[in-house]
Amino acid sequence: MERMSEAERQRILESAPVGTWALMLIVGAGMVVAWLFLYYGVFLPRGGVN
Amino acid sequence: MNDAAVRKLALGHLWVAFGAFILACFMGEYQVLERSGLIDALESSSVYFASVSTHGVLMAFVLTTFFIMGFGYYIATTSLKQPLWNQPLAWGGFWVAVAGVVLAAIPLLTGNASVLYTFYPPIQAHVVFYIGATLLIVGSWVWCLIMIVMFSRWKQANPGQPVPLAMFATTANALLWLWTSAGVALEVLFQLIPLALGWIDSIDPGLARTLFAWTLHPIVYFWLIPAYTAFYVFVPKQAGGFLFSDEVARAAFIILVVFGLPIGFHHLYMDPEQAAGWKLLHGFGTFVVSLPTFVTGFTVIASLEIAGRLRGGKGLFGWIGSLPWTNSMVLAVILSLLMLIFGGFGGLVNASYAMNAMVHNTAWVPGHFHLIFAGTTVIMYFAVAYYLWPILLKKPLFSREMALVQLWTWFIGMTILTTPWHILGLLGQPRRISSVVYNNLLTLSWDPYELAMIVGGLVLLGSACLFIYNLAKTQLSPVQDGFVQEIEYAEPLHAVTSLPEYLNDFKLWNKVIAVLMFISFGVPILQFFFIDTFGSSAWGY
Repeated sequence: MERMSEAERQRILESAPVGTWALMLIVGAGMVVAWLFLYYGVFLPRGGVN
Repeated sequence: MNDAAVRKLALGHLWVAFGAFILACFMGEYQVLERSGLIDALESSSVYFASVSTHGVLMAFVLTTFFIMGFGYYIATTSLKQPLWNQPLAWGGFWVAVAGVVLAAIPLLTGNASVLYTFYPPIQAHVVFYIGATLLIVGSWVWCLIMIVMFSRWKQANPGQPVPLAMFATTANALLWLWTSAGVALEVLFQLIPLALGWIDSIDPGLARTLFAWTLHPIVYFWLIPAYTAFYVFVPKQAGGFLFSDEVARAAFIILVVFGLPIGFHHLYMDPEQAAGWKLLHGFGTFVVSLPTFVTGFTVIASLEIAGRLRGGKGLFGWIGSLPWTNSMVLAVILSLLMLIFGGFGGLVNASYAMNAMVHNTAWVPGHFHLIFAGTTVIMYFAVAYYLWPILLKKPLFSREMALVQLWTWFIGMTILTTPWHILGLLGQPRRISSVVYNNLLTLSWDPYELAMIVGGLVLLGSACLFIYNLAKTQLSPVQDGFVQEIEYAEPLHAVTSLPEYLNDFKLWNKVIAVLMFISFGVPILQFFFIDTFGSSAWGY
């Protein structure tokens, strides 16, 4: 691991966590898609209770 | 500060917790084997239900409660830098809880309390089981009292200062437990024990289930908060970075406690005793609780991102590879969050009022709570144990490599166990069954999944044995001169010097909780006293 300059360290500490935002968006979107799939693809096709 | 005495207290609690855990793991493997129906010699519904009940009580009540108490005592003394308030009382609470466990174990192991860990009436257990469970809860209330007293005394001694985050979270959990255990305490004291003693000849299962619902969902947050505490106060430091935001962490704990308490009715969606409107209200509340979960996910991952970038990680996701994956705390949080994603999704399905009907009484539900509890939560209990053991014993961990193997195998085993469990639920396999006594195309289609679950259970059992072996070898190893390891709490990215009182105290939030609990449970409970309902006679034991 190469040595990091103090300026680079400060830049990291002050920068927005863009990777985290990206991960959260992917996970959130994945959950919405999975929920919709389960609702429209599995639950509704089973129909009502007879 | 008599650190040795507190370390002994914490270790005592943690060993009871993990002793219960390993016993329950053996029972769990027996249960998947029995339920598969592949080994005729194991077929016994009475033994199966005695085992499931004991497994559930050991995991859900004994492992958790003792872990939380032991962890909490050590957090309180080290984060506040104060001696433990009233150590004899703490030991008293410990022994009361141990006595409760021993008492409850007698009817459980003799088949006289095969009522599952939810002990829903009108199924009845021997009265000794209920008394034992009550003593366990009373012991835990002692812990709550000590946490609250230490929190208050520290605040009095340090006016205007932010309470250390670790203690803030621990006290939040103590308050949550006091609020949430009140429901089951009322049920046990006024319904189950009088019935078991023959003082009353019938019981209202609707009221009992409603009171248990008061407890049953927030209890999950009682188990989960120590894992979240480790996420916030240990992980960033172990990863080589900083906590992204102390204030956001506090807000997440407050939201979890305030909105996690009044939402238990999604366990009653299929019950007739509560009206649809109340269920819908609790359904919305359950979705609200996904907010602190996402906030926690964001804050912890952002803390990891800082650490990864400080370690040289570049690009949108390059920091993930730069994290110290060989640190057991960091590995555990990554695996825990992965399981939280899938377990959390399952929770959203359970909370969905309509879709819940598809999965409610199916194998999906135990699959879900094993993933959230035994996966997301318990893997962090392991990480905390690996972190604390050298500190508590003043000896290095017997094997760090074994700890990493154990965490990976727990994750792999849990994935192999719970994925088929969810699928079986969607295929229609009921939960709470000991075996399938008939064969048709549907039940035959379950066999491959049952086999996979046996494999998953074996991997988990092996992993659990590794965990206990590692801790025991550390405990029994000789003292190493000069070995020093102190507990290290993560520093926030921006130091917190002052906080508004609503982020540093619970007085306001207790009032909010009281109002929300009255709104959510007032009419649903009071209705039982104003309408004619027919009691049920007990059955089972």
